[in-house]
Amino acid sequence: MRDTTTLAAAASSRDPAAGLRAVASLRLLVEQLTDLQVDNAREQGWTWQQIAQVLGVSRQAVHKKHAGRRFRAGRD
Amino acid sequence: MFERFTNRARQAVVHAQEEARRLHHREIGAEHLLLGILAEQHGVGAQVLAGLGMQTEAVRAAVGRRSPAAPDAEALRTLGIDLEEVRRRAEESFGPGALERRRGARRGHIPFTPEAKTALELALRESLRLRNRRIGTEHLLLGLLRRDTRLATALLREAGVDRKTVEARMCSQQGSG
Repeated sequence: MRDTTTLAAAASSRDPAAGLRAVASLRLLVEQLTDLQVDNAREQGWTWQQIAQVLGVSRQAVHKKHAGRRFRAGRD
Repeated sequence: MFERFTNRARQAVVHAQEEARRLHHREIGAEHLLLGILAEQHGVGAQVLAGLGMQTEAVRAAVGRRSPAAPDAEALRTLGIDLEEVRRRAEESFGPGALERRRGARRGHIPFTPEAKTALELALRESLRLRNRRIGTEHLLLGLLRRDTRLATALLREAGVDRKTVEARMCSQQGSG
């Protein structure tokens, strides 16, 4: 017997609204976790270049996304 | 460009920023501009929208619902992700509120999305087209209606607001702002 979660997932798997909502939530979660990890890396003295390398994006992209946020929060 | 704005249009932009902050959003989008126009109640833009039956609270709720500031546990569960477990682990390493504290800690300036910037530029163009010297909240509204913006357009369309209707009603509203 499947639990209600599985049933709900199965029932909604072809519903675009549910699928897109899930993806949107996942993106928000990824953003939150990225902020958390970038902050941690900076606090441990990592350079933007090092962070960018591990994230697999350009240094400019990381800097653009996080430097302003950290500056405004008084962290950098 | 802001120097051509009427006081009410400036206030609408200030309101837009407050709306974004209140919803813990990181940028001011077209949907926040729409909320800003509505919040400047005595402006022509808000009056036109109110006349068409648009209600600030309903729009605010719709904006909050459709661009949430936080992930939805229920939605993530359909992907097999347990948000509570993710949060628990994040807090284990980084302390209470680890997932949330980086966000929404926004004071001061919130940047505009490219979409919102475009809408502001189009508001200027609208005021020039209508041979108005200043940019009022009605021009901000027309600017929003000029380009398809993800959420604001949908909300305006649902409420039956289009360019023609707005322009027709603008003429019957006296004054500018």
